Amino acid sequence: MLHCIRAISTVLCAAGLTVASFAASAARPDFTGVWGTYRAPGQPPPVFGPQNRGNLPLRPEAKAKVDAYRALITPTGDTPGGWCLGGGMPSSMLGSGPYPMEIIQRDDVILIIYEAHTETRHVYLQQRAKEEDLFPDRNGYSVGRWEGDTLIIETTNLKEAVDQSQFPHSAAAKIVEEYTMQTNADGSKVLTAQMTLTDPDFYTETVRAEKKWSYLPGVRLLPYECNEATWEERLQQLRQQSQAKPH
Amino acid sequence: MKKLSYALAAIVVLLAPLAARAHHSAALFDLTVRDNKVTGIVKKFEPRNPHTDIILEVTDAKGTRDITFEGHSRNNFYRSGWREGKVKVGDKITLIAAPRKDGGDGGYVVGVVCADGSQF
Repeated sequence: MLHCIRAISTVLCAAGLTVASFAASAARPDFTGVWGTYRAPGQPPPVFGPQNRGNLPLRPEAKAKVDAYRALITPTGDTPGGWCLGGGMPSSMLGSGPYPMEIIQRDDVILIIYEAHTETRHVYLQQRAKEEDLFPDRNGYSVGRWEGDTLIIETTNLKEAVDQSQFPHSAAAKIVEEYTMQTNADGSKVLTAQMTLTDPDFYTETVRAEKKWSYLPGVRLLPYECNEATWEERLQQLRQQSQAKPH
Repeated sequence: MKKLSYALAAIVVLLAPLAARAHHSAALFDLTVRDNKVTGIVKKFEPRNPHTDIILEVTDAKGTRDITFEGHSRNNFYRSGWREGKVKVGDKITLIAAPRKDGGDGGYVVGVVCADGSQF
């Protein structure tokens, strides 16, 4: 009899947890979809120009590194993107919009795919990798959690990146994004991210940025092949070498 | 001397693909100029990422010559209406291109008026 009561309790408890979990999941906002450049209601699309880098509170050593990098690339206009390299965080996030991003939301992981360079971030909400299994990457390693309707993402394991378009950082950087979604009176949806970047090696204080996107119903992400020309040139080079060889 | 020649040859081989791959940011171009138009005959039109490669045979006061342009990415042009086959070699087209800041030939193409008058 006791076994029977325990078994029933276990089943009810499991069912309760499942229902609670489902209810929490159902209550969360769903960010799934394609998001592009934010356009305020009734306003024309924004005109994009050079990034305003402002006066960042960089430490002298960091500023020297960043200045040296910018002096190097300014005469030719070279950028990572021009060489088919994704921007990495936070550029990948802050620069998205003209090239849209897609969010695929699941309970255990959220995928954020930026069309440009097909940069993909996995935001883990449940199982996390062991610290010793991680390695630095341009987009880092992201874990997320929900606090009410706000999705909070913390990103670490970043590579030092002086080539960031707005916020260069060291490998010690930690980026926190807080995502919320609003629905306007006309039914259109706006996603907002409040970002803070804390990096004691590069900055004397935390730096902040806000980014907004508009929901783009019916839009699909396009493939972003970027190295076709390089590959075709390599093939041509091999053909020429092959023809030049004595047979 | 022979060693120097080998070294120079090696440098040329190493630099060759780099030179071919070079793409630039829009920072080299004056994007505030929105109405600069260049008309010519298409010799190459390859919408690519990160930038489209265009060579146009242009005839103007300086004479006839081939001018190389960079332009928006394939994805950008697709979203503004470009489709495969819309621009062909031999077509007479007009490019809407931000001029180079150094005043040289070429520019950054932000729009195209096709041979049939359509635009993207």
